[in-house]
Amino acid sequence: MNTAPLSGRRSGSPAKRALASGSALVLLLAGCGGSPTAAAPQATTGGGPTAAEKLYTEVNGMTGQQRRDKLVPLAEKEGTLDLYTSMTSDVADVVIKAFEDQFNVTVNLYRAGSETVLQRIVQEQKAHYQGNDVVETNATELFDLNSEGVLATYDGERRRMVPDAGRQQGWTATRFNLFAPSWNTKLVTPDQAPKTWEDLADPKWDGKLAMEISDSDWYLTLYGYWKKKGKTDDEINKLFADMAKGAKIVKGHTVQGQLLSAGQFSVVASNYSYIVEQAKAKGAPVDYQPYVEPVIARPNGIGLMKAAKHPAAAMLFTDWLLQEGQALLVKQGLTPAIVEGDDPLKDVEIIPIDVEELTKNGEEWNKRYDQVISNGEQVDGN
Amino acid sequence: MTTASPAVPARKGATLGWLRRLGTPKLIIIVVVAGVIGYLALVPLYYLIWGTFFDANGFTLGGFARAYGDPRVGGMIGNSLWFAVGAAVLSLVVGTALAYLNVRTDVPFKGLFFAASIIPLIIPGILYTIAWIFLASPDIGLLNKLIEPVFGPGFFDVFTVWGMVWVEGLHLSPIVFLLMVAAFRSMDPSLEESALMSGASRWQVFRRVTVPLTRPAIVAAVLVMVVRSLESFEVPALLGLQNGIYVFTSRIYFVLRTYPPDLAAAGALAVGLLVFAVIGVAISNLVGRSGKTYQTVTGKGFRPRPMELGKWRPVMGGVIVLYFFLTVVGPLLVLLYTSLLKFYQAPSTEAFASMSLDNYRQLFDISDAMTALKNSLALGLGSATLVMVLMAVGAWIVVRSRIPGRQLVDHLSFVPLVIPGLVLGLALSFVYLRSPIPIYGTIFILLIAYCTRYMPYGMRYAVTSMHQISAELEESAQVSGASWWQTFRRVLLPLLSPGLLAGWIYILVVSFRELSSSILLYSPGNEVLSILIFEQYENGQFTVLAALGVVMVLTLAVLVIIAYKLGAKVGLRQD
Repeated sequence: MNTAPLSGRRSGSPAKRALASGSALVLLLAGCGGSPTAAAPQATTGGGPTAAEKLYTEVNGMTGQQRRDKLVPLAEKEGTLDLYTSMTSDVADVVIKAFEDQFNVTVNLYRAGSETVLQRIVQEQKAHYQGNDVVETNATELFDLNSEGVLATYDGERRRMVPDAGRQQGWTATRFNLFAPSWNTKLVTPDQAPKTWEDLADPKWDGKLAMEISDSDWYLTLYGYWKKKGKTDDEINKLFADMAKGAKIVKGHTVQGQLLSAGQFSVVASNYSYIVEQAKAKGAPVDYQPYVEPVIARPNGIGLMKAAKHPAAAMLFTDWLLQEGQALLVKQGLTPAIVEGDDPLKDVEIIPIDVEELTKNGEEWNKRYDQVISNGEQVDGN
Repeated sequence: MTTASPAVPARKGATLGWLRRLGTPKLIIIVVVAGVIGYLALVPLYYLIWGTFFDANGFTLGGFARAYGDPRVGGMIGNSLWFAVGAAVLSLVVGTALAYLNVRTDVPFKGLFFAASIIPLIIPGILYTIAWIFLASPDIGLLNKLIEPVFGPGFFDVFTVWGMVWVEGLHLSPIVFLLMVAAFRSMDPSLEESALMSGASRWQVFRRVTVPLTRPAIVAAVLVMVVRSLESFEVPALLGLQNGIYVFTSRIYFVLRTYPPDLAAAGALAVGLLVFAVIGVAISNLVGRSGKTYQTVTGKGFRPRPMELGKWRPVMGGVIVLYFFLTVVGPLLVLLYTSLLKFYQAPSTEAFASMSLDNYRQLFDISDAMTALKNSLALGLGSATLVMVLMAVGAWIVVRSRIPGRQLVDHLSFVPLVIPGLVLGLALSFVYLRSPIPIYGTIFILLIAYCTRYMPYGMRYAVTSMHQISAELEESAQVSGASWWQTFRRVLLPLLSPGLLAGWIYILVVSFRELSSSILLYSPGNEVLSILIFEQYENGQFTVLAALGVVMVLTLAVLVIIAYKLGAKVGLRQD
C-alpha cells in the first residue's frame, strides 16, 4: 500500500521544518494587530477640529453668492471629490454629470447598498484612511455614522429650508423615499384598491398581499402612528397579524415591483413609490395613487466627513445638491427634501420614519417585524 | 581567541550546505504554496473567530446564543438540511449522469452538453431564480399555464422546499458535471471492459466498477454541494421566504444586516458550517487515501474509448434534449423574452408587439460597462489561473507528499467556503487598510478576495484529479533522472490537466458573479460586472438586467468553448 514517492521521504525532515515555519509565519501574521472586530470605532481626530472642520465652520456662516464664490475656487483647486453613496446608479449618473459640467471638479463615485456604504466608511475611518469626502445615503446609516463621530457640522440657508425631520446632527436630508401600498391594476379595480393602511388587513387580500422582509422601519413608524391615533397595542398587533396572515414575503423592493407587474400578487404593502412609478411609466399595470395616507417617508441625506481630503469640494457638492440638485432629483422621479414652488404632495399627509426610535431600538423592532412576517402562514398554491 | 577561528568557516560551511539543501526549487515551491494557502485562509478565519468568540469584554459565547437561540432554529435546521441535501443529491445525480454519458458513451447531441452544463452556471443566481418564478409559479408560471388544461391550475409550485431543491440543484449541477467529466476522462476503460466481458450488465458495471472508481470525485462533489446549498442565498430568499421557509442563510443575512453587524452570531453560524466542512474534508481524504484503489491513470498505456449505448442511444438522446430544454432553453428563453420587453408580462400579442432592443441599447449606454467587462475578465482569468496553479502544488502536498501536517493544507484551503462573503470583505479591508503595501483601493484587493473565495473549489478539483494519478508515473520519471520540478511540470501537470481545466473554467465563470465581497472592496475605476448587475437590479431595471444576463451568457460561453478547444490539445486524448 505504500506509494510514497522516494522524493517525499528523502526530503521529509527539512520539508517538515519548512512547512512548520511557514504556518508559524502565517499565524504570526494573523496574530498581530489585536482585535479586529471588538474595538469600538472612534472619531479619527484626536482633539481639536480638523482642517476640513475649520473650513466648514468658516463657510457655515456665509450665505448666497459670497458663499459660492468662496467655495468654487477652493473646490476647483482641490479638483476632485470622493463621494460614497447608496443613490441608485441611474440617479447618481445624472447628478454627477450635472455637477461635473457645472464645476471643474472630477467626482470619484463609490456606489453600494446603504449598509455596505456604512461598513466601508467605518472600516476606513477606523484605519485612518480618508476614502471619501462626503456621504449620501439612508437616514438609518447616517445616524450610525454620526454616532461614530465621523460627520462634521453643516449649516447654511439651504439646510434651513429642509423640513425638521431632515435636519439632523451631522447630516441633512436631500430626498425622501415614500412608502405606499401599490397594486396591480389588472387584478385590482380602483374600487377594490386599498384606501387606508387598515384595509391591508382585510381577509380578501389573504394570499394576494406581499410584504418586504426588511421593512421594519415602515412597521415601527406605522405602529407609532396608530398608537398616537389612540389604537391599543392589541389592536395594532392584530392589524399587522392580519396583514401578515397569508402574506407573501419578498426580499427586495425591486423584485417586489417586478413580481407585482407580473401579477404574482395583487397588492404590495410597502413599496417605494418611485419604483412603482417607474414601472407605471413603462406601461406596466401597476398603480399607487390615490395615496393611502399617511404616506411614510424615509429620508436620505448627506453628511460631510470630518477627515475630508477635499473639504471645499464636499461642501460645494452639498450646497449644490440642496440647491440645483433638487430639481434634478425631481426629474428622476424622486421626492426632494426642499420643495420650492408647486408641491405635488401638498395635500398628502406625510410622516417621516421615526429614525430616532429606529436607531435606539432598531434591533428590537427588527425582531418584532421578523416575528410578524414569519407568522404569515403558508398559503397553498393560490 | 585563535582557537575559535577555524570553527567559524566550518560552521559557515555547514550552514551553507543546509541552506543549499533547503533551497531546492521543490522546497521553495512547497513552502511558498503552503504559506500562501495558509495566509489566504487564516486572515478571514482569524477575523471571523475573533469576532465570534470575543467582544469588548473578552471571551463570550453570546453569538451562539443569538444564532441558535431562535425558537425556530429546529425548523430552520430541518429546512436547511432538507434543502441542502436535496439540492446536493439532485445536482450529483444530474451532473454525474451527464458527465458519464458525455465522456464514456457514444450518446448523441454531445454539442449540447457544454451549453447545458455551463449556462446555468453563468446566469446570475438572481436571474435564474426569477426566471424559474416566471416559469413555475402557481400564479403566473408559464409552464403551469401550458399544462393547466390537463393537470389543473398551479400544478408546479416553485415556492416550496422541493421547488428550491429543483432550482438550486439544477443551478449547481455544472460544478458536479465539471468535476465528474474530469474524473471520467482519467478513467481506464479496460476495467469496465473486463467487467463487461465477465458477463456484467451495463448497469452493474456502472454501479460496481465506474462509481466506486470515481468515489473521490463523488465525495468531493457532495461536500462542495452540501456546503454551497447551505450557504446559498438567492434561492432561499426569493423562493423560500414567500411561504415562510427559513434556512441558515436567511439568519446570516439578518444578523449581518444590523449595525454594527452581529459578527458573533454570523460567525457562530459559520463555525457550525466549518465543523461540518472539516468533517467532510476528513472523510473525503479518508476515502481518497485508500491509495491505489482509485488510481486509474497508471503507467499502463490506455486510450479512453467511449462505450456503445446500443438501443439506449436514442432514449438517452431524448433525455438529454429534455434536460437541455429544462435547464437551459427554458430559463434562457425567459431571459431573452424579458430582455426584449419594457416590463415583464405574460406572452401575448400585445407583449410581442411591444418588443424592442431598447434594453440592449441602454446596456451599451452604461458608462462603466466596458471597464467592468475588462476588469471582470482580468480578475476572472487571473484568479482562475493563480488558484489552479497554487492548488496543483497544494494537491501534490496533500495527496502525494509525506510531510506531516499536510492535511492542514487541505483543511485550510477549504476554510473560505464557509466564510460569508461580507465577512471576507470586512476581513480583507481590515488587513489591507493597515498594510503598508498600497493594495486597498486597487484591483489587487479584489484579486486577493477572489483567490480566497475560489481556493476551496480549486483544491477540490485538483485533489480529486491527483487521487486518480498513480504515483508510479512520477516514480518512473524520477528513476529516469528527472528532478521534482521536471516531473511535476512534464508528467503531473499534463495528467492533471482535465481536472485543472475544469476548475479553471468553474472559477472563471463564477467569478463573474461574485458580489458580496466585491461590493465592499471595489473602488472607482475598478467596477466589475457583478456590481453593474447589482446596480441594474437596484434601479429596478429588470429588463436591462435580463439583457445583461444574455450578453454574459454569450461572452462566457465563447470563452469556455475556446478553453475547451485549447484544453483538448493537452492531457489525455479521446479516440
